[in-house]
Amino acid sequence: MSSTTTRRRVAAASLAGLAVFAAGCRGGSEDPGDGGGEGGIATDVGVTSEACPEAVNPDNGCIYLGTLSDLTVGPFAAAGPTIVAGQEAFWARVNEAGGIGGYDVDVSEYVRDNQYNPQVTNQVYQEIKPDILGLAQTLGSPPTASIVEDLAAEDIVAAPAGWTSLYLFQDVILESGPTYCAEAMNGVDYAAETYSAESVMAVHYAGDYGGDAAAGASVAAEANGLEFANVETTAGTDNQSAAVAAIVDQAPDVVVVSTGPADMATIVGQSVAAGFQGRFLGSSPTWNVALLQSPAAPALTAAYQLLGPWGPWDTETPGHEAMREAAGDTTPNEFFLSGWVWSYPMKAALEAAAENGDLTRAGLAEASAALESVDYEGILPEGSGNYANGGDAAAVRTTQLSDVSADASTGVTVAEADLEGSTAEGYEFTGPCYEEVDLG
Amino acid sequence: MRDVLLTTIRGLGFGSVYAMLAVSFVIIYKSSKVISFAQPALMLAGAVLVSYLAGPVGFYLAVPLAALGIAALGLGLERTTIRPMIGRPVFVVAIITLGLDIAIRVVVNVFIGTDVRNVGDPWGLDTVSVAGLPIQERYIAMVVVLVVVVGALFAFFRYSRYGLAMRAASLDQETALVQGVSVGAMTALSWAMAGGLAAVAGAFVGAGGGVDQSTWVIALKALPAIIIGGLDSIEGAVVGGLLVGVVESFFATYQGEYLPWLGQNFSLVSPYVLLLVVLLVKPYGLFGTREVERV
Repeated sequence: MSSTTTRRRVAAASLAGLAVFAAGCRGGSEDPGDGGGEGGIATDVGVTSEACPEAVNPDNGCIYLGTLSDLTVGPFAAAGPTIVAGQEAFWARVNEAGGIGGYDVDVSEYVRDNQYNPQVTNQVYQEIKPDILGLAQTLGSPPTASIVEDLAAEDIVAAPAGWTSLYLFQDVILESGPTYCAEAMNGVDYAAETYSAESVMAVHYAGDYGGDAAAGASVAAEANGLEFANVETTAGTDNQSAAVAAIVDQAPDVVVVSTGPADMATIVGQSVAAGFQGRFLGSSPTWNVALLQSPAAPALTAAYQLLGPWGPWDTETPGHEAMREAAGDTTPNEFFLSGWVWSYPMKAALEAAAENGDLTRAGLAEASAALESVDYEGILPEGSGNYANGGDAAAVRTTQLSDVSADASTGVTVAEADLEGSTAEGYEFTGPCYEEVDLG
Repeated sequence: MRDVLLTTIRGLGFGSVYAMLAVSFVIIYKSSKVISFAQPALMLAGAVLVSYLAGPVGFYLAVPLAALGIAALGLGLERTTIRPMIGRPVFVVAIITLGLDIAIRVVVNVFIGTDVRNVGDPWGLDTVSVAGLPIQERYIAMVVVLVVVVGALFAFFRYSRYGLAMRAASLDQETALVQGVSVGAMTALSWAMAGGLAAVAGAFVGAGGGVDQSTWVIALKALPAIIIGGLDSIEGAVVGGLLVGVVESFFATYQGEYLPWLGQNFSLVSPYVLLLVVLLVKPYGLFGTREVERV
């Protein structure tokens, strides 16, 4: 072995050792922050009197919020970066308006890839935990489940990226909008009334997304006296043959689809091509504007409607308008809008905590738990964001039903605004729908 | 009867794509004795390349161009990451291909973005009536492409000097070297061919539905196909791929009706059940070479 190689190896080993040492030192204890804070506000972890990197207001201190998103290889890697962009635009606007209580909010410094994997989530969460006040985003309920107990124990408040009904029952999670479950209930109520549907089929992924929507569809079918069929499917456009066969064979009047966009387009396109005459209602994650360019576009335009938690990109509310202005030249995308909307409760919680003079983790947790409503600038109905009472009281029950429209920026335009059927109205959320309802 | 025929044709269509992917796995296995887990990423890269090229040059030209592009990528991968590992355990090389798969997919995902990308195929979901049966045109195209590609491959291996050299190198590398065959060049060529094949398969995976970031998973359907057919047999890969497609299609259509107690989505498991049955009867696969060991 040459001496050069030996020297290189020794150097590499030393560097590696140094890195381990440095990491050990850093992770050993949590940064207690400055304690004093701006204007007499108490602070502890993740809040500094130094300005944020590239601060909008150099005289302000900095509140650091972490992000655990699916950025590279997970199943929602297409959505994660856009959601992050949406929340960055949201907080940039907050900072441009002067920040909160003398602090700017930074959501860029601690963005980590959770790969939609619980183990990875826990690992990257532990890495950033000593440096953050709260989480601006935690994507996916299985990854979030891996840290939720720690979040509660440490009083770390988090905004989720998703609409599962499980979030209604996790105190440190500040969810926004109706759940997949309520969305499906409204869809089935609408189909029963408008299309005189007598039978409904839920075609869905298993778990907290598809299972939640199917549970809602099942509850609403029973409430309306409709025949209900449950068809579980798995991700992959090549795996939809069984679902298509079931739709064509059983010919329900309406199908509630809760899959990814490509799978939904396959299901709708193939079923219509095989002669299916019924209607499709898709949960919010089923839509992507690019489907307008797919071979399934004519079938989607004719037979599909989207059940959305809030109005799509072009909707006229002050919140949407601010979002469009902040987005600038960004290609319109519903996930960008979602990242924006999911940030409102955290803003409300930070403002309340700052007003209470306590921007510590405990102070933020206390302030968020006391929120009785959040100002979504018209994007969600008045009274949304009632975390003080939690559970059923926090559940938003209105849905925006959209038609496919090639003229709209994101390919969908609202057909029925603020849809709230009698089933969702009368349903009491006592636990996650997908656990409470037996799909048979 | 009508349903049975339609189910068979759909199975043969998807099976043709699985078969092309399986052949790409086998070509690398024969030359390097390793299963390349980078094939899903190469398939996805091919499909995405077609989606970008189809607009300017049209689908029919985009597919061969993408195949050439991904073949060059395969060649580059072999030269830069696989070649230095010659002599190392094949397990190590297999793990490297896993890493390559993830790395390539991360890059390709940037080009897919948040959208479902349309490959611009001319068939879409259109059907053509054959003897009164509404058959999707893309299934016919898939089968035709498989026949053409596999026919060309067999001709290449049988009648061309390079094909003969590749067969010799895969049979016995030392003897092939003694005969003047550049084993290294043949290995590189096999990676290039496998890359090209994966790209063609990718284009047809996207036909009728488009590709998104999760499309790579489809390439894993080729794994039961190559085990069923026999790891080192190209004809086995073709038969294995077609069998997987047809069995899956039949379970998808009929299992819910006739075997509901198996639960939902049993069609996804069915290729592996077929695999177990085949291995019980023929441990080296339908066309695999029986290994002889001197004791």
